[in-house]
Amino acid sequence: MLEPVKLADFFTVFFSAASVIMFGATYALLFAWSRIGNRPRLMPLAYAAYVGLFASVIVLALAANLFNNTFWSVIVLLMLAGYLLAPHAIWHLCVGTHADKHDSAPIKVFQQR
Amino acid sequence: MAAIGLPKTAEMNGGQKLAMKYFTVAIALFGAQVLFGMLAGLQYLNPDFLFGILDFSVNRTLHVNAMVVWLLFGFIGSVYWLLEDEAGVPIVGLGLANLIFWVFTLAVVVVVLVYLLVQVGPGEQSSIWLINEGREYIEAPRWADIGIVVCVLAFFYNVAATFMKGKFTNIGGVLVMDLVALAGIYLAGMYYTPNISMDQHWWWWVIHLWVEATWEVLVGCLMAYGLIKTMGVRRKIVETWLYIEVALMFGSGILGLGHHYFWIGTPEYWFTIGGFFSALEPIPLVAMVVHAVFDAGHHKLKSTNNPALAWIIAQAFGNFFGAGVWGFMHTLPQINLYTHGTQWTASHGHLAFFGAYATMVIAFLYIALQKWRGNVYMSGELIGAWKWKWAIFLLHAGMITMVMAMLISGYEQSQIERAIGGSDWMAYFAGQSHRWFMQGMFWRQIGGWVFTAGFVLLAWDLMTIGKRETRPALTVAAETAAA
Repeated sequence: MLEPVKLADFFTVFFSAASVIMFGATYALLFAWSRIGNRPRLMPLAYAAYVGLFASVIVLALAANLFNNTFWSVIVLLMLAGYLLAPHAIWHLCVGTHADKHDSAPIKVFQQR
Repeated sequence: MAAIGLPKTAEMNGGQKLAMKYFTVAIALFGAQVLFGMLAGLQYLNPDFLFGILDFSVNRTLHVNAMVVWLLFGFIGSVYWLLEDEAGVPIVGLGLANLIFWVFTLAVVVVVLVYLLVQVGPGEQSSIWLINEGREYIEAPRWADIGIVVCVLAFFYNVAATFMKGKFTNIGGVLVMDLVALAGIYLAGMYYTPNISMDQHWWWWVIHLWVEATWEVLVGCLMAYGLIKTMGVRRKIVETWLYIEVALMFGSGILGLGHHYFWIGTPEYWFTIGGFFSALEPIPLVAMVVHAVFDAGHHKLKSTNNPALAWIIAQAFGNFFGAGVWGFMHTLPQINLYTHGTQWTASHGHLAFFGAYATMVIAFLYIALQKWRGNVYMSGELIGAWKWKWAIFLLHAGMITMVMAMLISGYEQSQIERAIGGSDWMAYFAGQSHRWFMQGMFWRQIGGWVFTAGFVLLAWDLMTIGKRETRPALTVAAETAAA
């Protein structure tokens, strides 16, 4: 079931795995910043960061031999879906948990207009 | 009205007075952790250093155990600090709590003295009970194990009974449930079996679940209280998020335990479970970035206590990089096969423990000191602010240097010792004596000196911050009061 990483791919695995998290955080940061600050022009940059994450996941999957097995291929797909959707889900939770605070105040959240 | 800036012990409640004792011991043990870590680091560079006087194994044990215990003292102190404030009534069984503090402190002193005085000897039943249990990271002898459980149970009684007598806030509810797990899961580390795989299976319950589940939840409670106190965030929002974060943490964290079961002889399905949850564990961390930006946008980072807020922010970053980035780099079994137990793991451990836990306890120390000094001003242009700013800089610069140095050594070990050498005895020494490894250890020691300087400055600042201030604390807690 497990196919260990080749020696030549060690650095690729470490670097791409770190990139997954860093691009994930950049995507989340730009996504939230775009919405909280009503700056729609940041949203394409957020999705550009997600494209970076997507590429990192694919490089990681190839270097760590994840596509050689159905189970690990499914995990790769779940990672891609999870990182894409988690910021959206948390954003909705943020808006929901702060909702009554803004009942009397103007809402700065542009997607709710 | 008494002058601001002078200690106001008389104005503190019973729990807060007790908390100050816990904090004092915590800082002393933090110092011990740094000292023994530095000595162990020197022994990497010069293995003959203190050989036969203070062996590496003892230094390492003391370094790691001091960390566990100072964080535990910090957490317990923090809970006693907030207890009466949250529950709205005096602590139930304060006399017992004070007694337990002295018993716990004395037990720690005795255990440390025994480690230092009995460094070698036969491994028998009596040594397990009286000297060293021999389990890495939880070496405390069996009598001390039982003592820890008794202390945590007494602590649980104080907390649960106080909340039951007063009002049960959501922070209080999560805290009480978490303390049940804190006492219960430690018992798993006391289960003895001669089967090493089974022994390791239960041992990881303490190492992973105690630390990555119960401590994380405890830190979540402290963070919630800290945000209310330093930024005036509404209680309803903070408590809702506490539940969400606990759910996210438990959802991915409990079975994330599986990544420790890869190589200890447990069944193969742990590859599946561990791999799955390890791959998804960082997603909540990334999601929390969204929440941090959302809250920062709303509160504009106004703070009544700048040092505490700075350390809370450091906690968010430290947790993200230490647990998230450094963890995910080597958590999949395909690569973990080569990195498990190398300096790579030590690099991850150092950044994650410092980032996720030490930062939060230090933040709480500043919250406590503000009140101890008579609710003194601790916002912008605080007198003597250079000390806390330089302390946070040096501690982080030292930690990052150590972490990067260990990363290089660990990378070399994973290649030379594991992948090329095949993990045999000769490969182990080939890896340990390689110049990349030694250079990493040298730079780790440099980072250690910088960290030590930061610790000295931190200790000095904790003793003096607010002393010369005459201004009262800013008030930004209007939201909290209105909620």
